[in-house]
Amino acid sequence: MLKLRRTLIFGILLLMGFVSNAQQSKVTAAYTFLQQGKLDSAKANIDAAVVHPETIGDGQAWYIRGFVYKTIYNQTEKANKESKIRIEALISFKKSLSIDTAQENVQENIKNIKYLATTLYNDAAASLDTIDYKIAVKNFDIFREYYLLVDPSKENFKRKEIDFANAIATVYTRIYEGDRKGKVDFLNLAKAAYNRALAFDPNNINANYNMGILYYNQAVNLINQSDYDLDIVALNDVQDNSINLFKASLPFMEKAYSLDPNRKETLLGLSGIYFSLNEKEKSNEFKQKLEQIGK
Amino acid sequence: MKKLVFIFVSVMLLSSWMVVPADQSEEANAKIKAIYIYNFTKYIEWPETYKEGNFVVGVLGTSIPLVNELNKMATSKTVGTQKFEIKSVVSPSECAKCHIVYILSDNSAQLPDVLGKVKGKSALIVTDKSGLATKGSAINFFVDGNKQKIELNKSNIEKYKLKVASTLVEMSVQVK
Repeated sequence: MLKLRRTLIFGILLLMGFVSNAQQSKVTAAYTFLQQGKLDSAKANIDAAVVHPETIGDGQAWYIRGFVYKTIYNQTEKANKESKIRIEALISFKKSLSIDTAQENVQENIKNIKYLATTLYNDAAASLDTIDYKIAVKNFDIFREYYLLVDPSKENFKRKEIDFANAIATVYTRIYEGDRKGKVDFLNLAKAAYNRALAFDPNNINANYNMGILYYNQAVNLINQSDYDLDIVALNDVQDNSINLFKASLPFMEKAYSLDPNRKETLLGLSGIYFSLNEKEKSNEFKQKLEQIGK
Repeated sequence: MKKLVFIFVSVMLLSSWMVVPADQSEEANAKIKAIYIYNFTKYIEWPETYKEGNFVVGVLGTSIPLVNELNKMATSKTVGTQKFEIKSVVSPSECAKCHIVYILSDNSAQLPDVLGKVKGKSALIVTDKSGLATKGSAINFFVDGNKQKIELNKSNIEKYKLKVASTLVEMSVQVK
């Protein structure tokens, strides 16, 4: 009975060693296949290795997995802005970074994450249109997550956040302008995006000006969309609502003006806002400044 | 590893400034005025002899946005069976043939001349400068709390054999 138990334990240990070696050799095999350019085989081996308990915590295995996926991405998926292979590569490098106690691949992991995150940023930028905007947002979110992981300096990232927020706000505005009645949600999304840019930089002239214009146009559209049949009571309501919007526009436009008093678009915007608020003297003041600049 | 740079170009292009068309605010203001003017035709009644031919709105002075807006209104609205006819009026003498005469604020000084020309006629005189409802105008636009409102002088309406509905009187600031 004792002999049987010893044999069983020995057998289990032997099997465990064999499995362990087998998993390590799968990592090695994946690396070899990668070097040979046999990416399918490299992927099959490394995928098997990283789910096995013996190598699931092996930073080297995860690093190789990241490299295999990154190579597949570069060779076959670069045109795919929603590449899942790229995400798998990033997940793998991140995992490797977090468990790489020997600090063997820290710099390589960081370099690869930065590289792939940058491709995400560029794909986000390339998707900034009225059709692919969701891809842009998704890619920028993933870019943010990974880029901040390897370069946590928020100051470096601020510029990118502002640029992206301003750009996506412009896209949302275009969608809204294409169908003002049906796409009101996009007006709110545009405002939220400009607010995001302004939260990072309250002195961002672009976000201030465009936010001012958003409110201004909303007010003007409210009036222009009104029917001639509107009775005077309803017209008063339209006027009240539009005045509130013109007033909401004013601080953003004033801020843009304070940041660049000679910008023609801002002077035109302020002249228009004050005209609409029936403050003709102030409107003319900005009109005159605009004419002086034009001379 | 191939170095990859951030592509800012498309982002910067999309961040370009939106531009306000120069006369957008004037157009919006003209739309408010046009809605008011159309309301006047609903709440004021002209004598039977004025219910034939076109319903003429004369604008004394130069306001392209207002004339454009009134012309736009004329394409879709009528006064009973009468079609709108929008006229840019240069001289007060042309006002005698109008159902409504709108005197722009820059031309306010011509109010006495206009009043002289429409004597004995049925014209609604509309002005756009503070205080004119006490100086012969029937309806005067004024600004209160950033809002475009109207003051109405009932006797200046009835003087021209026009009947004004109490609804319009109640919705206006009354001036005597």
